[in-house]
Amino acid sequence: MSERAIAIRLKIPDNEAYTALTALRALDVQVERLERSEVWLVEDTGDAATLAARVETNEAIFNPNKHRLAVLDATAPRSGEAWVYELPATGGADPIARPTMGGKTIPGVSNARRYIGWRLLDGSGAPVARRALESALERLLCNPAIEKALY
Amino acid sequence: MSARIAVLVFPGTNSEDETQRLLRDCGGDAELVHWSRADSLAGYDAYVLPGGFAHEDRVRAGAIAAHDRMMDYVIEGAAKGKMVLGVCNGAQILLEAGLAPGTGSARRPTAAFTFNGPQPHFICRLVYAKLAVDPSRSPITAALPPGAVIPAYTANVQGRLAATPEHMREIVEGSHVAFVYARADGTVDASAVPNESALGAAALTNKAGNVLAIMPHPERDGWNFNHPQRQTGDDILAPSGGAVLFSSFVEAVNR
Repeated sequence: MSERAIAIRLKIPDNEAYTALTALRALDVQVERLERSEVWLVEDTGDAATLAARVETNEAIFNPNKHRLAVLDATAPRSGEAWVYELPATGGADPIARPTMGGKTIPGVSNARRYIGWRLLDGSGAPVARRALESALERLLCNPAIEKALY
Repeated sequence: MSARIAVLVFPGTNSEDETQRLLRDCGGDAELVHWSRADSLAGYDAYVLPGGFAHEDRVRAGAIAAHDRMMDYVIEGAAKGKMVLGVCNGAQILLEAGLAPGTGSARRPTAAFTFNGPQPHFICRLVYAKLAVDPSRSPITAALPPGAVIPAYTANVQGRLAATPEHMREIVEGSHVAFVYARADGTVDASAVPNESALGAAALTNKAGNVLAIMPHPERDGWNFNHPQRQTGDDILAPSGGAVLFSSFVEAVNR
């Protein structure tokens, strides 16, 4: 059993990311580009090489006409990136782990946890400084009353 | 001369017309103010944030709207004691803006109306909101009888009150839950809560009581024609149960 991370991003223009970018810049957060993705951390007993193909069969979370899917190298956010998740209603600080992804079983996959990934980049395409990321989370991207961010 | 009430229209707001109409039927001088006219908000005496999907609920419901320039005026007005009422998405915006329960600072939310439980489904049905505080706790509810039960329609995916245990304690200790879900006869029990909202909360108020954030829509039960228990022969255009909250709000604004 291996822990693996998957990111699903829009390949069409992401209006939500653009709105968030505009709002963050209005709030004086130093960011020039913002990438949003749906991140899934899963336990997988299957072959790593086929994970993407197995998840891509799930039309509840992946539409080949508008999404691209990548199996990430690491199972933690990259520099300049935060993964935001909703705190469970039942209490506790960990994201809910489900046997399914978007309500559908994927062969080999279990303990699926869902996050929204926000990656903040500067004008040169480099990750923003940690302070800018924290400011973005505090001011807009994470409501600490109901959400938590990994970064 | 009656006080002027601004009904705020963000991009994506969709309940502004019935909100304005009911405020007017309750005697309020209510006007729609669109986001492009934000600067005119300073001239109004009270603010109402209707339901809808402000800024398409991007990032989180109410999150972008909380930073809209219109909210600069609402936050400033609320601090001066102006009456502010938010319904459904309007309530979500007030929580994101930190105005309700108002236990933190502006634009630093301490609670949220978030995804319904046990499943994050859209819930659309008639519910009853019961006044859970003394009417005098808030000027907005001051004209209601103690324990008033108001019919309203819940119509949301994100209506469940949630907060950290620390903030929930502040909500309880500060008597910030203004309305709870109840049965039609006023009985309060878990079966009346449609979405597992914490404390059974349907509405929150701030410390001063001049801000009220209510999730179910009273204006959707504002006239007899949309009241399911109307009797044959009732004037279908007469105000019905949901109108009493708007009347009380208008009374507070004009006081």
